[in-house]
Amino acid sequence: MAGQTTLSRFVGKADLVKQGAEGRVYRAQFLGKPTIVKERFRKRYRHPVLDEKLTHRRTVQEVRSILRCRRAGISAPVVYFVDYTSHCIFMEEIAGSSTVRDHIVSTQQANSCKELELQQLAERIGRILAKMHDEDVIHGDLTTSNMLLRCSSQDTESDLVLIDFGLSYISSLPEDKGVDLYVLEKAFLSSHPNTNVLFEKLLQSYTKSSKKSPAVIKKLDEVRLRGRKRSMVG
Amino acid sequence: MHLTRVLELYPDTRVTQILYKDVKNAAELRRKAMEGNINGALVNPTMLVGPFQVLVAANKAVHLQTTGKMKTKTLNAEIIFNLSPTNNISEAFKRFGISDGDHSILVVVVHKSDEVQFVSDISAMVDGQQLPVDDVSSLSDFNKIKKLFKITPQEEKCGPLLDAVVCRMAIKDVL
Repeated sequence: MAGQTTLSRFVGKADLVKQGAEGRVYRAQFLGKPTIVKERFRKRYRHPVLDEKLTHRRTVQEVRSILRCRRAGISAPVVYFVDYTSHCIFMEEIAGSSTVRDHIVSTQQANSCKELELQQLAERIGRILAKMHDEDVIHGDLTTSNMLLRCSSQDTESDLVLIDFGLSYISSLPEDKGVDLYVLEKAFLSSHPNTNVLFEKLLQSYTKSSKKSPAVIKKLDEVRLRGRKRSMVG
Repeated sequence: MHLTRVLELYPDTRVTQILYKDVKNAAELRRKAMEGNINGALVNPTMLVGPFQVLVAANKAVHLQTTGKMKTKTLNAEIIFNLSPTNNISEAFKRFGISDGDHSILVVVVHKSDEVQFVSDISAMVDGQQLPVDDVSSLSDFNKIKKLFKITPQEEKCGPLLDAVVCRMAIKDVL
């Protein structure tokens, strides 16, 4: 199809940023703006009809979640263009940013008394996630690598941007929100050792900010009791 | 003064925008466009935030034309449709196309070659003053735009209006 070859020529000239199980991520200039192109490629091990349906659905869910977040005042990359034939999303490249993960790691390594700063960051994250869950958006892949701190030119606080909504969906169930937080907890504590207190601050901030938090935290506690290496004593 | 850009996805295709204010013959131009004598989309610039928005609409239109998936009948109609936040074609035309009483017009032309002779041909037809395309925001009715695109106050705080508008344009088909 004509559309497909022009896209492959375009991505052929773009810089490949990473390749995951889901697809590839490229950087390129698009309509004069630095752009990230997320391409979900075909999975040949799947039945073609199912593959098309699944890939299309994931693409749609991703962009819908981004718009929902933005409408609620949560920073997420602006979507410029979606190609539904090749399942490519063209979105804003958040320039001059670092991941929350890198920020925490470098702050801890610097060994300065920046504990308060990290706690304030954890509280901010908790507030933003509360807002997101109140909008019934489940991120699906919450890690500190999927949160960016966009440095602003002035002396104002840097903007916290959520990225990679590839596994996201809409749900009002406390269970889904609890699992979303559980995923973050596991990722947080494994990437950043000795940060239990920090994560607790995050959860406290979430609980305070979300109108629906009691049910969600209850589910989070339940989910924590499940999973691997848990004693089957009930 | 006019602005031409190559579409990266379609490198043989260019989009040129020409902006006019103090236009006195909008009705005549509209008629000419409908008769096919102006090969461009006539857009109401008061509903635009900036030239980038037009590029996004034009890029999507060219893409859909190439893949045979346009929602409207012509490329120029598709450009106007893509500027709208809704999937209602007549509403898109009413708000983003020009009306007989309009005093400013943005002409969008999708063309293949580098040749820009058509710019002077079009300017000859317009009874108005040409403005640099980057000045389009001086003509914008921001309140009307915010209302039509249903921009929430929280969203306004998290980024520029252009971002909110372009995001809705890009995602509206699956909303």
